[in-house]
Amino acid sequence: MAEKLEPVKVLYCGVCSLPAEYCEFGPDFARCKPWLVENAPDLYPDLLKANEKAADNVSDKLQSVGISSGGADGAPSSAQTGGTSKKEEVKRLPGGKVKKKDRQEVIIEKVVRNKRKCITIVKGLELFGIKLSDASKKLGKKFATGASVVKGPTEKEQIDVQGDIIYDIVEFITDTWPDVPERSIFFIEDGKKVQAG
Amino acid sequence: MFKKFCLEEISSQNQVKASVQRRIRQSIQDEYPGLESVMEDLLPKKIPLIVVKCPNHLTLVVVNNVPLFFCIRDGPYMPTLRLLHQYPNIMKRFQVDRGAIKFVLSGANIMCPGLTSPGGVLDVEVDAERPVAIYAEGKQHALAIGFTKMSAKDIKSINKGIGVDNMHYLNDGLWKMERLD
Repeated sequence: MAEKLEPVKVLYCGVCSLPAEYCEFGPDFARCKPWLVENAPDLYPDLLKANEKAADNVSDKLQSVGISSGGADGAPSSAQTGGTSKKEEVKRLPGGKVKKKDRQEVIIEKVVRNKRKCITIVKGLELFGIKLSDASKKLGKKFATGASVVKGPTEKEQIDVQGDIIYDIVEFITDTWPDVPERSIFFIEDGKKVQAG
Repeated sequence: MFKKFCLEEISSQNQVKASVQRRIRQSIQDEYPGLESVMEDLLPKKIPLIVVKCPNHLTLVVVNNVPLFFCIRDGPYMPTLRLLHQYPNIMKRFQVDRGAIKFVLSGANIMCPGLTSPGGVLDVEVDAERPVAIYAEGKQHALAIGFTKMSAKDIKSINKGIGVDNMHYLNDGLWKMERLD
């Protein structure tokens, strides 16, 4: 019997979740840097030095503001700080990697079954803080049809209403839930999203 | 493989029968004899094993909501990187040179020259179609898990084209899915 293996503890970056040594190849190294300096200083010795340098530069700059003769020294440091602030702006809009927050919109789709019967599917009401069970009951009552809360294909809940109620569902939604603006209601027609109203 | 992968991709997740569970355990153990001593910790017999099926014939083995292994079609089970980091010696290792890291981490398959260059290391015993751990020059931990397209000898002699298919790499969808709920 072999000796029991002990799991190796790996230091994962608190910012990008990669093992710390891979941060430099990660999605956003600049953001990891502060964390790395704090938690894994030995991994990136250059970084520490660079950081000190940057700090020096900043203090230089502060001084130069006072004396206003920083000249050569002040210019690069200000460029540097400009660069970092730019990065911070990008940070807030991380492209692609971070999952986009669901846009608040209601999507209405008509699915035809048996050629002449159809189901109207309403998705996204929950994004407006509407209880789906209540909503389905109200829809059912208004249109005198079956309406149920169903788990959609992506684990999200949606309301299936029997029958074609597309013609006045928009009005109904905006009347019953004033929180839902008409411009955030969309139809799906031939696979394309079309704004209602 | 897992470049885009999220919870929405899961088509079904089932708690499997004891017999299936046994079979999975057995095949994992056959594949990674180094794991024998910790099998009981990893896949306890008592705790139900959950098999998550995803599109593209992909299966994940999940215990306590943590994905541990994955496999494609009826292929061998491969550990997730988080698991491999914990037990690094269970798999045969290849090493790529520093220049390749960037590409591997964005999901590229591993090309032969990256493995044969001075920064790369090949384990000569590896045959074609085996799972391997991909390490990188100057780094301690694995950065990807691959599936060899040709044997190590061929990689050396042909030295062209894709040597290892990149299955799972750092910061891909599966990596980000630390826990499943």
